[in-house]
Amino acid sequence: MFGKGLLKGLGITFKRMVGPNITEFYPEEKPNLPTRVRSSMALDKTKCISCNMCAMACPNSVIKLTSEKDETTKKKVLKSYHMDVGRCLFCGMCTEACPTQAIIVTQEYENTVYEPDGLKWDMIARAERTEKEG
Amino acid sequence: METINNLLQTLDNLFLIIAATIRGLFADPHSVWANLTMDIINFIIVVIIVVLAALILILLERKIAGWTSQRTGPNRLGPRGWFQTIADALKLMGKEDVTPASADKFIFKIAPMIIFSLPMMTLAVIPYGDGMAPINLDLGIFYFVAISSISTLAFLMAGWGSNNKYSLLGAMRAVAQMVSYEIPLLFSLLGVVMISQSFNLGVIVEAQATIPFIILQPLAFVIFLIAALAELNRAPFDLVEADQEVVAGPFTEYTGLRWGLFFLGEYGNMTAMAGLGATMFLGGWQGPGFLPGYVWFFLKTGVIIFLIMWARWTFPRIRIDHLMHLAWKVLLPLSILNILLTGLGIYVYRFVMGG
Repeated sequence: MFGKGLLKGLGITFKRMVGPNITEFYPEEKPNLPTRVRSSMALDKTKCISCNMCAMACPNSVIKLTSEKDETTKKKVLKSYHMDVGRCLFCGMCTEACPTQAIIVTQEYENTVYEPDGLKWDMIARAERTEKEG
Repeated sequence: METINNLLQTLDNLFLIIAATIRGLFADPHSVWANLTMDIINFIIVVIIVVLAALILILLERKIAGWTSQRTGPNRLGPRGWFQTIADALKLMGKEDVTPASADKFIFKIAPMIIFSLPMMTLAVIPYGDGMAPINLDLGIFYFVAISSISTLAFLMAGWGSNNKYSLLGAMRAVAQMVSYEIPLLFSLLGVVMISQSFNLGVIVEAQATIPFIILQPLAFVIFLIAALAELNRAPFDLVEADQEVVAGPFTEYTGLRWGLFFLGEYGNMTAMAGLGATMFLGGWQGPGFLPGYVWFFLKTGVIIFLIMWARWTFPRIRIDHLMHLAWKVLLPLSILNILLTGLGIYVYRFVMGG
């Protein structure tokens, strides 16, 4: 019948109209991310044994860490841990390489900064910051 | 029960009672001065209706656009974004008013005023309730159609005055489209006029006390709806202001409040056309007694406006040759057929009833 398609189209839009919205009210309501999202990195300083495996595994050499030897326990102690996140792929290879699960991928996604220098993360300072917030 | 009925009666006649009270303030309730006062009050009410309708409808349009595409529409300002239009209007008032250097300045400036004045003139003859037409004209439909067809001229003035090729192209399209669709629109209204034997909108509403004319004239209603869409230059017939083809048509060179006037005029015209549809086919202020007449009228108008908006956000734009094809080869023969059938129906009815 002529004009059937028009009515069908009206029906479809009406169904959309009364159906649920798919809008996410982002700043007010945080979205539910898929479980496998990799968007940020976090370091647990106490677990880290300064083996440098993460820096070796990193394809873009994002990770730079320094350590010093504790004279009493004869173990390496982490001095600094820097990531240049501007070059980071969030591929997670560092977490796979890490033998003690000290560096992990997190789902924190609000990583925007105003200056390029803000992308040079001091992971130890960030870990302390999250501890304070928690 | 008695008190509820009394209350409903009072509500139904609320505005008539107010009008009678104002007239009663004069020594002679039907003197020239009383009539003049009432005319001025009626004029102010019609202006308020136009502006309020535009304010509400612009937001409603954006809301419906959102809902059809599974969004929420404007939702920042006020409760659920209901104050968004006010912010938009304020923004428009603050904008710079630019007149192009090579424009025909007088015509350029007067065109939006004409567009905005038309819905006020057309809404003035519509009966909002029992005896509530601001002006009770015997040739109401004739007047309505004559005035609303002037908007063609205003579009052409805007397009020509802007001195811009896209504006002129849009204006030419407006003329071609609106002149073509005027004819099926008129013929679709003619069926109702034949049944009710009157051009007076108030009499037509009273004739629908038992049965609204949409049941007697379903074909005419469909033709009216399509032709009204085209008359109002709304999607799917928005070739006049088709953004992808002619920028914004006649509105291209307008800024600030002048452009806002075009918008007000467009939505005012939409209200007037929907009001005419509600009056002619849906029975105007007639309705079950639990709501006052004017509420019924605005509900019916709202239903037609919703239909128009629903169509806009569903259908893609029609091609210009198909547009003309639809007007002259489909709608016009159908409307003439409708007139023929209506005439036959009236003849048979009289023959059977022995009138």
